[in-house]
Amino acid sequence: MSDKIIYAMYDDDDHLLNGAKDLVAKGVHVTDVYSPMPIHGIDPIIGVQPTRLGIAAFLYGITGTMLAALGIRFMMIVDWPMNIGGKPSFSLLENIPSFVPIFFEFTVLCAAHGMAITYLIRNKTLPGMPPRNPDPRTTDDKFVMEIRTSENSKFSDEELTKLVKNTAFIEIEEKQI
Amino acid sequence: MDYKISDRAKKTTLGIAIIGLVLLVFGFFQQKDFVYAKKINDHEVEIRYNGSAGDEEQAELQQTIQSKMHGYALDFHSTGDQHDSSADHHVEESHHKSSDDHDAHAEENAHHGGGHHGPTFVWNVHLNHEAEGDNHHGGGHHESGADVLTEMINSGDVAFFDSEIRRFWSNLLVNGFFFFGIALGALFYLALQYATESGWGVVLLRIYEGIMSAMPIGMSVLLVVFIVGSFEGHHIYPWMDSDLVNPDSDSFDPIIYGKTAYLNKPFFWIRVIAYFLTFYLFFKWFKKKSKQEDLEGGTKTHFKMYRRAALFLDFFSDFSSTMSWDLFMSIDTHWYRTLFGWYVFSGIWLSAMIMVMMITLYLRSQGHLPLVKESHIHDVGKWMFALSFLWSYLWFSQFMLIWYANIPEEVVYFVDRIENYKILFWGTFVINFVFPMVFLMSADTKRSAGYLIVIGLIIFIGHWFDVFNMVMPGTLFDQWEFGMLEIGMFMLFLGVFVYTVLRAISKAPLVQKNHPFLEESKHHEF
Repeated sequence: MSDKIIYAMYDDDDHLLNGAKDLVAKGVHVTDVYSPMPIHGIDPIIGVQPTRLGIAAFLYGITGTMLAALGIRFMMIVDWPMNIGGKPSFSLLENIPSFVPIFFEFTVLCAAHGMAITYLIRNKTLPGMPPRNPDPRTTDDKFVMEIRTSENSKFSDEELTKLVKNTAFIEIEEKQI
Repeated sequence: MDYKISDRAKKTTLGIAIIGLVLLVFGFFQQKDFVYAKKINDHEVEIRYNGSAGDEEQAELQQTIQSKMHGYALDFHSTGDQHDSSADHHVEESHHKSSDDHDAHAEENAHHGGGHHGPTFVWNVHLNHEAEGDNHHGGGHHESGADVLTEMINSGDVAFFDSEIRRFWSNLLVNGFFFFGIALGALFYLALQYATESGWGVVLLRIYEGIMSAMPIGMSVLLVVFIVGSFEGHHIYPWMDSDLVNPDSDSFDPIIYGKTAYLNKPFFWIRVIAYFLTFYLFFKWFKKKSKQEDLEGGTKTHFKMYRRAALFLDFFSDFSSTMSWDLFMSIDTHWYRTLFGWYVFSGIWLSAMIMVMMITLYLRSQGHLPLVKESHIHDVGKWMFALSFLWSYLWFSQFMLIWYANIPEEVVYFVDRIENYKILFWGTFVINFVFPMVFLMSADTKRSAGYLIVIGLIIFIGHWFDVFNMVMPGTLFDQWEFGMLEIGMFMLFLGVFVYTVLRAISKAPLVQKNHPFLEESKHHEF
């Protein structure tokens, strides 16, 4: 099936935000927005689901805590019991205050790395991957909205282009795939 | 946008205060000075008292004990020879009071009791069964009379009335500081808003102003505590006791003596007056200027306040630290900790933010704050969340380092608390850390009034107990109780405080009219 992508470029995030509001109100489905910085309030307008990265972060974090607990238990209690601060109780629970910083650090380590890697994979932006943004200027000071004809079957190509042209764009590029 | 305190609010706040006052009066007469009992064997108990008691009072106490021990005839022998029992006394001392810090207090008590070392009286009590065939307890398992008696006395069922009314003074300090701290925290946050030129919270500024207007309540109560303490009417601050720092006295304490360069009455009063005067003048000045800005407009007043706020933060950063040393750290005079000031400060800041949240939610629910949107509530909620973490972080940093290093002169502070205040000590940490973490983590709960009120109230009370924990172990040791006195005084303060705040808020328009960032605040949304 032939698909046409319309890229509308804006030089202000407010223009893009208002344009997107307009289009969505008319029933256009906006596939994505490319922006050099987060645009407040764009997610609910173009219908992006709330991110689940937070849930992933929690899972990575709890994994880190568990790993830290297991590791410390093996290293400091089982394999080579340590006398901590003159408290040779050799028990994980009784010595737990001294382990809390390690739990904390390891939790942060796992959560941060897990989140970063998940984020990069999910966005297909791992180092070396081909860039997905249509125009390098979207990493500088321009904002691009992506609309696909295949997702807007109730409009003809011309109608769609006309609707997009009603917004405060600065450039429009159409790409056939 | 003007707000008038409603009849209902007036009745509720003052009603709470009056109920509190009644409870306080009842509780006042239930203050106890504990007597300690030690079981020697099944028929013998040793009873010891360190305070002062005349012969009549002693006889009365003996009668009370007898009347409570049905089925036994008690035989009291006074073995009050202090020299004889001094070795034993130290064993006992280390059993009940686990630090040398406490020994100082005990000695101090002893001194006031009668000017000599050791307990006022030591009784050897023989328990004789009145009737033959004493199996009235039934069954093979029964507690011996000695156990019952020991338990009864150590739990405070039988005790003297506390002539020094220590619980009253300690609670006055706890509540006075807690509510003074809330007002001070509001003043601090107001200054922070001006100094950082924050725009989002402008529609809330009048609420901060209202809360800090209740500062004189806490201040005057604290002043009363300090004045009475200076005349040795109570012994919350051991270093105020002239005998402890007098090298010729029996109860001379060299450690406290070594600290007299800082901890002496004249310098203490200079500091207290400096704190209170600074805070009071800044609070009055901010209120005046904010009203003036309403009338004049322009940015001149704003920039004046901006500079003055930065100056206040300078004062506050020093004074909040030294004030926490003077007010709380000097209760446990032997102990010191550099982190303490921050820890106290994070507590008062958080309590202030909870109070801001509660007042805002209340006024908003009454439809008085149309400009305050969910985003503002969300932001104050974030402060509650973040400051809970700051507090927990400081609490744990303080605890862990001391626990880890295990230096005797430092651990006493926590040993006292863990031995005698176990539930409160761990409980305040768990509540003040876990509740906000679990329930205020998500963005939705920070926008829901129900969640905020419930969690806010829980950690509000949690932080009251935090202050309680700072004071009581140094003033009441293991003789603390939680009853009508504590609840009543808290309610009294709370009622009067909230009433004062609402009244102060009603005296000015609810939102500043000419703040330069007002427009930004109105459109604050995320």
